[in-house]
Amino acid sequence: MSGLLRRRPEGFAWLLLVLMVAGLLSFGPLCVRGTGDASASVGEADVAVRQAFNATLDAERAGANVSGLILRLNEAGGILVEAEMALGNGNSSEAASKAGQCIGIAESVKGDADVLKTSALDEAQTVFWTSLTFPVVGIAVFVAVLVLVWRRFKRGYVRKMLGLKPEVAHDEA
Amino acid sequence: MMKLEDYKVAFAAVGLVGVLILASPTLGLVLHLPGGERFSELWVLGPGHMAEDYPFNVRENESYLVYVGVGNHMGSSTYYVVYVKFRNQTEPLPDALNGTPSVLDPLLEYRVFLRDNEVWEREVLFSFEGISFEGNFCRVSSLVVDGCVLNVDKSAVWDEENSGFYFQLFFELWIYNGTVSDFQYHNRFVWIWLNMTVSI
Repeated sequence: MSGLLRRRPEGFAWLLLVLMVAGLLSFGPLCVRGTGDASASVGEADVAVRQAFNATLDAERAGANVSGLILRLNEAGGILVEAEMALGNGNSSEAASKAGQCIGIAESVKGDADVLKTSALDEAQTVFWTSLTFPVVGIAVFVAVLVLVWRRFKRGYVRKMLGLKPEVAHDEA
Repeated sequence: MMKLEDYKVAFAAVGLVGVLILASPTLGLVLHLPGGERFSELWVLGPGHMAEDYPFNVRENESYLVYVGVGNHMGSSTYYVVYVKFRNQTEPLPDALNGTPSVLDPLLEYRVFLRDNEVWEREVLFSFEGISFEGNFCRVSSLVVDGCVLNVDKSAVWDEENSGFYFQLFFELWIYNGTVSDFQYHNRFVWIWLNMTVSI
């Protein structure tokens, strides 16, 4: 190397230049890829939070108590905002890390929401059949009792009518 | 004395009322009465947590406090985004008539998940950096919100009518629509006017 430097200094300068350009070309895509990866991660986190919210909404419509899930979604939303800000400030590694954290929470919320939805649907079905059975039985008993009372009342009424003595009325006019 | 037919009608009425009372739990499951009006609230309050004493004459490197809040009365849990935007007098505000948001890019956002009838509120502490005055112009370089330095780089021309360099800090409410899987402007925005003044 020192021989080359002594013998052909221009050649060495060219070699250095080529190496520098090659280094820059290989580093450039790495930087771009780093930002691109972080951007993709933040995008994935955004989608994960939306999906988690949709699952939470489905669980709520099924009748589940989603208070805990909403708290965790707020946590995920806050982290997502931090990830977006880090990305905007050019801090790709922090953006990617925050996005990963956000995806983790969102996926766990989605999983829990699905479980809650299933159990809420089962519970709702039980409640529905219970609410249907008791009134049907109650109505049947009530109507039967009412018919019996009516028959008894009717019999008593007729007997009472038959037992009445005719009265003779005088026409004053 | 009442006739037998009259008693029959009375028994039938009692029977009907009784059946309706007994069936009411089941009817409650099947029949869904329409709920009240569905809407969302968005508000900005001054530092005393009242709709008064809003920051107005602002200086460089001084902190100001407002409260921003959202109320959900949409009948179910809702996913909101509150965008923080900053404009001078010539830049567009949201169009309340057409329900379109301001075209300005948001400087900051808050993502909020609320159950029905829940409210969210947070302190927004802001200050300005790099305020410069040159003739009829005032230039603001940065807005600092909750410790985040946001590059705004906006200029305002001296408003002769109201004697000041006016800017507006405003908050837009967006709502997530699960059907289209995207956020939509919810046609609600609140703002505070700010007059840039020289630091003493």
